[in-house]
Amino acid sequence: MGHAAAGTRVQDYIGDPVSEAPPLPREKLEEIFQDIQQDLRFDHELNGCLNCGICTATCPAAHYYDFSPREIVQLLWTENLEGIYDAMQEKIWSCAQCYTCAARCPFDNSPGGLIMLMREVAIKHGMQSAKDVLRPFSRVMLKLISTGNQLSPDMIRPDHFADWGPEISKVDAPLKLLRKAIPMATLNTTDTAWEVNLKTSIELYTIWEMTGVLDQLETIDENLFDVITDIMDEKREDWEDFLEEQDED
Amino acid sequence: MTDEKNTGQEGERFTGHGPEWKDSELSPHEARAATAWVEQRIDRRSMLTNKDRVEDVRDIMWQLEKDGEIAVHRLTDGHKPVTVKTLYGWDKRIPTTRLWHHKSCGQCGNIPGYPVSLLWLQNQLGTEYLDETDQTSCTAWNYHGSGIGNLESLAAVFLRNFHQAYVSGRAQGFDDGHFYPLVHCGTSFGNYKEVRSYLLQSAKLRESVKKILGKLGRLVDGKLLIPEEVVHYSEWAHVMRHEIANHQVIDASKIRATIHPACHVYKMVPEDAIYDDDILDGNRVAVSTGLIEALGAQVIDYNTWYDCCGFGFRHIISEREFTRSFAIDRKIKVAVEEANADVMVGHDTGCITTLDKNQWIGKAEGKHFELPILADVQFAALVCGAHPYKIVQTHWHASPVETLMEKLGIGWETKKQEFEAYLKEVEQGKQDQLYDPRLMVTSGPGFKAIERSR
Repeated sequence: MGHAAAGTRVQDYIGDPVSEAPPLPREKLEEIFQDIQQDLRFDHELNGCLNCGICTATCPAAHYYDFSPREIVQLLWTENLEGIYDAMQEKIWSCAQCYTCAARCPFDNSPGGLIMLMREVAIKHGMQSAKDVLRPFSRVMLKLISTGNQLSPDMIRPDHFADWGPEISKVDAPLKLLRKAIPMATLNTTDTAWEVNLKTSIELYTIWEMTGVLDQLETIDENLFDVITDIMDEKREDWEDFLEEQDED
Repeated sequence: MTDEKNTGQEGERFTGHGPEWKDSELSPHEARAATAWVEQRIDRRSMLTNKDRVEDVRDIMWQLEKDGEIAVHRLTDGHKPVTVKTLYGWDKRIPTTRLWHHKSCGQCGNIPGYPVSLLWLQNQLGTEYLDETDQTSCTAWNYHGSGIGNLESLAAVFLRNFHQAYVSGRAQGFDDGHFYPLVHCGTSFGNYKEVRSYLLQSAKLRESVKKILGKLGRLVDGKLLIPEEVVHYSEWAHVMRHEIANHQVIDASKIRATIHPACHVYKMVPEDAIYDDDILDGNRVAVSTGLIEALGAQVIDYNTWYDCCGFGFRHIISEREFTRSFAIDRKIKVAVEEANADVMVGHDTGCITTLDKNQWIGKAEGKHFELPILADVQFAALVCGAHPYKIVQTHWHASPVETLMEKLGIGWETKKQEFEAYLKEVEQGKQDQLYDPRLMVTSGPGFKAIERSR
């Protein structure tokens, strides 16, 4: 960015003066903003802003990143299209989604909620920032979208979480045995957090399809989309087989 | 503040405050005093400022039910509800029995002693419940981490799971509405309440998800089913705290406990969080603190009690340096150095995981802190005599829960040996369960009807 019209001092400043990226047409910037603004939550999450900065003062992400919820609110409130686009390249992914900002805002704004609208739109527009940021998240998305569980016991492996230390399990036994020793029958699993009914998964797939979640996924990661739709097809076949068996009985 | 710091180009000020702006020339101490108010904590008083502008969405819910637009999953006398007060003094009814356990993927996947302790406590209290396989996670962890998902998908998942809770009793011959959903995860709890609010306020959203729920066969008399209350397990534990304390067998009075209140439990939909004038003067969310006090432990305040844990949804997976830095510097360090805590107690999945797992790495920077981390119901189960490994499943915790057990007088080494012996029995096919496992499948493959209603 950083190629705003000459003579508008503020826009020169808000844009990135060292970026070599070509300027985005204004129509595209407007389209992105309209997508954010048209979400039915937008007016609920943004009521006004006097730049008091309470949100940023209590923001965990502001401690560690070049990120300020106040800035995000201001960009949206003042409809600063270039600034909004810039923020969507990196800053919006800093937010820890704790909603401390929302609990504190005297205007009842929800900067954390607005961030979510911007993230959704970043995905809708297939922004590279979203693809880059979400790449390490793909195992989680695979698990969630295909099984309905976000996290499974077999994902917590010492080599994936070396910084958690040597005591991920303080009893030396195979994972499968440790899971069988949990006295809740639904939890005697390793590849899902709990045993999920096949019917439940099939219903969830209908939700993903009808709400456009699979389209989002395809935009961000086509390979992951292919893997997940294959799993969905297999499970649907299993479900059809079950229904046929019921008919035969 | 100096001119140099605020100068964008040579000779040009760029403050955004306009030409009339002048330096206050306050001393650092005066500047600190003038702006300290922005760092005020998220206590009850700070949130009361919005009271006049917040509507009780349950009023809309009752009107929509009256208009025939929605059906409401009502709490009945059979659920033995207890009434509590929320932030603005509104009533909220908490069911105490006939509960449908809506599990947490993070708890079940990584901290299994969390839900097991809850069910074990409910067994001690004679609570009726169902733990079944026909449920998905709320999908909000993924949504808040990745942005994959949307309001419509969150709403459809919410309504599907809660409809299943409503009809789940059929498998045992009970009427619809017999079981009431009890949400285990704090993020699910916050997300479901937020989504319920949007569903009640938006006819457009109701219309779009009605098509989905209709296709799934999950409408009630052709209408969307909305729960009268969205209830978190910590609220159940809160209203049952004195009954739980009646089962206590281990003295906890020497334990200095710090509480970590979960953001999505009390900040996300603040008006629905429980406050009690008798618990920390009604100035903090009451859940967990009330339970730990009822069990006789000392609840110790600390400076950063209101801070989040650093979980961040995405961050704990792919930006772990943020997560561990925040967890250590803003929570663990403060609880150890300022509160001299023996344990930190929480009531949410992500917080327990974050605070428990992100201590060891601190050694790399000379930050050697060791603080046991437990969920409130795990602490309660321990002092009520639950087995530390078989029930509380402390071996999944990276933090030194053993030091807490020693302070409580629990011989954990013997208990660990007992558990290791039990593992050998499990290998041979023996399995102890908290409930009849045949009940966990309510339809689909593996379902066998078991009549329990007569």
